[in-house]
Parts: sequence; structure tokens; C-alpha cells
Amino acid sequence: MSSAIDCSKLCPEWPCEQPSEFKNVWVVIEADESGLSEASLQMLTPGRRIADKLGEKLVGVLVGYRVSHLAEDVIKYGADEVIVVDSEALKTYYPRVYALTIVELARKYKPSVIFIAGTKRGREFAPYIANTLKAGITADCTDFDVDVESRDVLLIRPPFAAILLAYIKTPFRRPQIGTARPNVFPVPARDESRKGEIIFENVANISEDRMKLVSRRRVSRGEVGIEKAEVIVSGGKGVGGPEGFKYLEELAEILGGTIGASRKAVDAGWISEDRQVGQTGKSVKPILYIAVGISGAAQHMIGVREATRIIAINIDPEAPILSQADYSVIGDYREVIPALIEELKALKEKGPEAVEEYIKWLREIEGKR
Amino acid sequence: MRIVVGIKWVPNTQAVRFDPETGTLIRKGVPSIVNPHDLPAVELSLRLRDVVGGEVIAISMAPPPAAKGLELVLGMGVDRAILVTDRVYAGADTLATSYVLAKAIQKIDSEIGKVDLIVFGQETIDSTTAHIPAQVASWLELPYVYYVKEATVVDGGRVRVVRELEEYLEEYELELPAVLGVAVRAFKPRPVTLSMKLRSKIERRLIVWTNDDLKLDPRCTGLRGSPTIVAKTIDMPEVPRRKEVFKPRDAKEAARWIVAKMLEDDKLRELLYRSLWGVRG
Repeated sequence: MSSAIDCSKLCPEWPCEQPSEFKNVWVVIEADESGLSEASLQMLTPGRRIADKLGEKLVGVLVGYRVSHLAEDVIKYGADEVIVVDSEALKTYYPRVYALTIVELARKYKPSVIFIAGTKRGREFAPYIANTLKAGITADCTDFDVDVESRDVLLIRPPFAAILLAYIKTPFRRPQIGTARPNVFPVPARDESRKGEIIFENVANISEDRMKLVSRRRVSRGEVGIEKAEVIVSGGKGVGGPEGFKYLEELAEILGGTIGASRKAVDAGWISEDRQVGQTGKSVKPILYIAVGISGAAQHMIGVREATRIIAINIDPEAPILSQADYSVIGDYREVIPALIEELKALKEKGPEAVEEYIKWLREIEGKR
Repeated sequence: MRIVVGIKWVPNTQAVRFDPETGTLIRKGVPSIVNPHDLPAVELSLRLRDVVGGEVIAISMAPPPAAKGLELVLGMGVDRAILVTDRVYAGADTLATSYVLAKAIQKIDSEIGKVDLIVFGQETIDSTTAHIPAQVASWLELPYVYYVKEATVVDGGRVRVVRELEEYLEEYELELPAVLGVAVRAFKPRPVTLSMKLRSKIERRLIVWTNDDLKLDPRCTGLRGSPTIVAKTIDMPEVPRRKEVFKPRDAKEAARWIVAKMLEDDKLRELLYRSLWGVRG
């Protein structure tokens, strides 16, 4: 355990607290009319691991309106306890109301760690919680660990354009707050037999009188989001224009996948922002990621670390993607993709019996080289 | 109306390259730029000023070379710029940075005139935390909202914004003063003009504040005021990949190779069987 903190050395704006006063790992669980947020449930995965390493409890913090019935589910996904604030005052989401509700709970219970999913809302309210508590916060973590000696949590994140990995700790302050982007961690396995305590809390008089919601409507995307896709055909600068994405769409369709893009393609206005993969976009975990005309910048590749396989199609034999993909072909996608679609259609026609002949052909050309 | 817009002078992460010989990072000589995601925030500030009148003040907490970045936004038409710089601010994490920014904004408010709106870019390209707008809002106890893609001033005392979440489009009204995080790409920044740049130089529109001006407790700034500590950094570990590269004679051969590789690969064969024939591989 770290030795006592001499508060006279710390910023007088910070409350004088000893890390030893704090205990347990919290995960903030977002929920709305459609149920529990999957991204929040994902945070129970590192939460469980860190709680076990510290020998402390994993506590879900469920804040919202008419959410009490969801608390049992949070237990089944791995929490030991759930603290619920179910209040009409939380019917409309306001960042400060949401943040200050969690601040109130944190002041009462003194958690050692708070993990928050880096959803758009999470990224909005998490820093307000941290700052109000004068606690440290680390965004976009890709992993967490515990320093065994000091019991400090290590918050691991890629700063500087995803080229470095930094290990961050907050030895003098608690709680230690970290966010991670959706899909960095899997949702834990659901265990119907798990039991745990559910604590109902009331938080008095937190309201937002300087901000009001005027309207809210669901934006229909009408397509499979890239976060859930098993196959993503993704286009970069090398696609050259919006019309190029038609080739990608056709290939995605035959493989039962969807379209993604690099930042450059989105910046150019060729495709909508919700398709963007990478550090300023989304992290994805498809079985197959096909990178078309994507150079392979670190900021992009961090978003596809969890892809099972990457196929690259690139005209540039020097493109960095070639050393970061599983299978790469050098060529013009305008020719390769139509040929690939033809090949897949022909294979579909011939049926599984034709598989053998492809493997045979592969052996032959590999023998020649 | 007085609008303060935050600027960060960042290394151009796009210009960072790997040394192909050693496989390590070449960080030396990386040029710095104004964080590209701050430019839509500057543009929104200028548009609001152009409609309702008043002034836009750009602010940056950074070492002296960041003056270049502030000169650039002055060239876009920002009315004045304040570089907040001091050795005791060095090594700050987002809490300590937001503290200095909040205190500087309070100083603008009390000495230059009432601050109505504080605008930031959504995040920076070098650290991408998106903490600062909420943290400044927290120090100043102001309402705030992120991902703003439209904003108009209504009845002089409020700002109406449209913002986009993953699945929702939301419209909010915030009482002024308020803090906005402006969505990446939301507004196309106007070009820098030489005449504006010259004007701001001649009229000395860039001023520098040090801790002699702000008089902040050094325990609250820089490394000392930062609860987070970087214990170590390593180069990003490589994901193991097969790295097979094929130079085909023609597109037909390329296509055949890709399909053959997919069929040979356990993980991809399964996928292909399902998508082509709806059966297990």
C-alpha cells in the first residue's frame, strides 16, 4: 500500500483524501429505453479482472429513469453489486446531471476505480465527473493492469497518434478513472446463476436549470453498423472518389458485410462519418477486414487491431499496410475488385466441391515462386 | 458577444514516420500545426460573431512557439489571441491544463469583459482525450455539450445547438455563458488572409500571459497539478499478421489468389462457406 499522502504538497483545490480510504471497482452502466448499453457491459470485462486482482468488489452503477429492472442483468454479466439511481430527474439526459449524480455516489462510497464506456455520452460526462472530484482520468484505454506493489491501476492508452502505448497511473488521487472505446473489450459471458446485492440510492436535487433538451430523434442508419459487422470492406484515399465505393459495396454485399472508410476518405466527403474506422472513428472487430486503397497509418490501424484477418488491396508496393495485413495484393482495386466479385460468383455457382481446385492451384503457383 | 476559443499547438502526427531500418519512431523534426479539429471551432466562433457582433478571443496554454498557431487563427479573423505560457505549466495533464485555461478565461471575463461562450474543438490529434471542454465547464460550473454541428444564438442570452450521438440527433438550448465542443469537420474553416495576419501583427493583437499575470498556485499547474503520471511509454506492440504479399500478373490472378487464401485459412473459409452457400466450412 502506498504511504500516506502529505496534502500540503498537493493543489489546495483538491480535497485532502488518502488513497487507502477508497475501495472497489465501479463500472458506470448506461441504459435507455432500449435497455443496457452494450459498450457499458463490455467495461465489466476489465472491471472484473481488475477487481479480482485487487481483491475488491466489482460494482455496477446504473443511473437513469425506469432502469431498476435492468440491475439483475448487470449482476449476471459479472458485477458483485449494483447501485441504482432510478429517478424521473434523470429522464432527460443532461451531461452535468448525469455526471453530478455519479459524483454524489462516488463521494459517498469512495470507489478506488471507475471505468466508463467511451460512448459519445460517456466521453462527454466522464471528464466532468473526474474534474469535479479532482481525480485523474485517462481516455481511450486499450487495457488495464494493477501495479502489484503500490496497488495503483495502470491505465494503458495509445497517445501520440496510436504509435506509442503509455502506462498511466494516478498514485495520489482516487478514484482512478478510465474510459475505453466501444468494442475494445468483449461483453462478459452471462451467468444466469449469479447473485448479488442491489442497492437503491436517491440523489437529492440535482437538476439542470441552464440547459434544456429541445428535440431528440433517432437517426436511422438503415445499414449494419460497422461495430457489429463480420466483414468490412473499407476504402481509403486510394479509392479516389465517392464512385469508387460502389465497387466496395458490391464486394461487401456478396460477403455479407458492410462498408468502412479511413479518415481521409471521410474528410474528402466520399462517405459518411459513421463509417470511419480508426482513432478518431470506431474500433471494429470483424472476422475479415478488407482495406482498399488504405495506406496503413497507425491512427487507422489501431481501429482494426481486433480484426481476425486483414486483406489489403493496394496499388502502391511500398504502402505500410502490406506489412500489417495478412494477405495483400498489389494492384488497382478498380480491376481487382470486379475480378474478385466474378471469382466469388463463379465459386458460389460451382459449390464447395470446387474448393479443392483452388488449394491445388495455390500449391502450384507457390511451388513456382 | 465575447467568444473564447481554445487552440492547441500539436505535433503533426501525420508526419511521424517509422525508421524502416530500425523499426523505431522518428519523432525528431516533426512539425507542429494548429490542431486540425480546433479549426471548425474557430470557424463557428467567427460565424457567430459575424452574426451577432462582438469579439472572438483565441487562447492557448503552451510553450512560446505556439504563438505561430495563434497568429494563424488571427489571420482567419480572430480579434485577439492570448498565449498563456510559463514553465510552471509544463507537463500538465488535462486536469491541470483545464485549470489554467479556466483561470485565464476568468481573467478575460473580469479584465477584458464578460465571456459569453467558450468553444473548443472536439479533441486533439495528438492525445484525442476530448476532456478539456468538460473539464473547463466543470471548473467554471457552466452548462456544456459535445459534438456540436450547428449553433445559433437565440434571444441574445442562449445558444441553440444541434449535436449528433451514435443513434440520435439532439437539439439543446443552453443559457450563456456555456461551453461547446464542436464536432470534427462540422464547419469548413475559412482561409487565413495575409491582410488579417498583418493587421494583427501591427495592432499587436497577440498578448502573452505568464504566471506573473495569472498568479496560480504552482501546486495546481503543470506536472505538480496533474493527478495522472505517465509511468512509461513503449512503442505500440505489433499485431501478429501473416504479411503475405502477392504481386499478380493480372486482376484475374489477384482475385484467384485472394479466394484461394481465404479457402486455405480456417478463419476465413468458415466465413466464405457461410456467405456463399449458407453452410459451415
